[in-house]
Amino acid sequence: MIVPLEHVLILSTILFLLGLVCVLVRRNLIMILIGIEIMLNAVGLLLVGASAFWQQIDGQVMVIFLMAMTSAEVSISLAMVVYLNRRKGTVDVRAFDEMRG
Amino acid sequence: MNLLELQSLLPQLILALGATAVLMGGAWLENRRFWLLCGMLLALVAALCAALYEPPLLEVAGMYSTSLYARFCTVVWSLTIAATLLISCRYADLHCFGGGEYAALLLFAAAGMSLLSAASSFVGLFIGLEAFTLVLYILIAFNRTDNRGAEAGLKYLVFGAVATGFLAFGIALIYTATGSFHFAEALAGLQLDGGLRPLGLAGWAMLLVAIGFKISLVPFHLWTPDVYQGAPAPISGVMATAAKGAVLTAFLPLLAGLGDAAGEIKSVLWLLAILTMLGGTFAALPQTNLKRMLAYSSVAHMGYMLVALLIGGEVGGQALLFYLVVYSLATFGAFGVITSWALADEEIQEYAEIRGLGYLHPRRSSALAAFLFSLAGIPPLAGFFGKFGIFHAALRSGYTELAVIGVLTSLISLYYYLRPIIVLFMQDRSAYQLRSGCREEFILLGSCFAAILLFGVYPGPLLELVALVLP
Repeated sequence: MIVPLEHVLILSTILFLLGLVCVLVRRNLIMILIGIEIMLNAVGLLLVGASAFWQQIDGQVMVIFLMAMTSAEVSISLAMVVYLNRRKGTVDVRAFDEMRG
Repeated sequence: MNLLELQSLLPQLILALGATAVLMGGAWLENRRFWLLCGMLLALVAALCAALYEPPLLEVAGMYSTSLYARFCTVVWSLTIAATLLISCRYADLHCFGGGEYAALLLFAAAGMSLLSAASSFVGLFIGLEAFTLVLYILIAFNRTDNRGAEAGLKYLVFGAVATGFLAFGIALIYTATGSFHFAEALAGLQLDGGLRPLGLAGWAMLLVAIGFKISLVPFHLWTPDVYQGAPAPISGVMATAAKGAVLTAFLPLLAGLGDAAGEIKSVLWLLAILTMLGGTFAALPQTNLKRMLAYSSVAHMGYMLVALLIGGEVGGQALLFYLVVYSLATFGAFGVITSWALADEEIQEYAEIRGLGYLHPRRSSALAAFLFSLAGIPPLAGFFGKFGIFHAALRSGYTELAVIGVLTSLISLYYYLRPIIVLFMQDRSAYQLRSGCREEFILLGSCFAAILLFGVYPGPLLELVALVLP
């Protein structure tokens, strides 16, 4: 393995945190979903790195599962974006705060 | 996959393929009640198959076990989904749900939950958990005429997706530290005093965050009341019972397998248990909405179950499973009563709307009162035995502080459980006559009531069964 495991770890942790910050800071639903995608792709990167480190195929298989799952999630969440936009005419999450207490 | 592996996964295959068939069939034949009953029959067949059919292999593809424990969980989740489909019959008619989609989605959820409880590797755990979480995103916002449903769907989507990210990152870290997804090897890898163990513990911390979101432990519980309030009542029922139970049952063998290496993780769980018991109880006190109160009550009950999880071993596992079944029966029943009171445009859930309802609908109101009494832990209902089991086990295992906090919060919880009951039977009535319940609803609510009474008076058989299936 040419790239040391630590570098993969650091890069994927930074990516994961960037995604998390994006989720926490942005108020546009589409940007939040992009943040989540970044988090999941950081996971994929780490899995591939670990798979190379342990010289196993398992991690890469998991990445395939992760991609399949992510595409299912994206299709559902984009359907949700369209539906929410039709209901309130906006994808700003601040518009959805009817329930409190 | 060979034939033996397919045979071993027969109950899950019945659920998943049956769901696909119902989804396809629903596109051609628009008969709501037919598809709901069809889905219920499929879930019942899967439960029967899991209970009676001896699977030829002990583990499938290194991902799913077919132990007695996994089969027991499959039976319980399939029965929950069957009951949900049955009680949704009139609710679905009122809100014009597409019968095929609704039944198919719930069956997919059952397949996901049963895979999650059966998982013997992190890959299996991830797939099972996502399978039913994705379904719940849709089901929560299923009522397309309801703004609150849309809001609840949005909140669950964002929180759920972030939790998925944490879960996946945690799994990736544990894999990096140990080189295996399989529970036995991945957990054994954490025992070593190798340089990678901190990485594994970081992975476990991420995993705990994800699990905290899914079973709404304080401080990750903020989505719970809003989502339960906005989601259709039968779906809230599934989320509070089967969805949380499936995560807990998947977590039980995981924690047990960790053995001595669980020290740090257990101290975090200890703190989470205290926070959850106190947070859930005190947040429930000021509620004036039945569904929100039940949401916070489910948070508090997750705290009690976390105590059982911490105790671990045979005693803790037995207490946990018994409590889970009893809690699920009462919570399902309470959401069932709300389902049966639903109107076409709203659900009766504010305390102001149920004032005096006990005189108009005495049977369902008394059933609701019984379910709330069981949740509060009043003898002779089953909730009392569940709580007694957990606190007794906690005292014997040296978790005195947890037992004390548990007993105190149970006492405080009497206030918020009794309040809706008193409101139900107040003399100055402000509630209106609702529609009389239909046969299916009375059968289900009656059997939930009979079950909590039976397990309260005569808990022996359930305790023995639970002890038998423990891994």
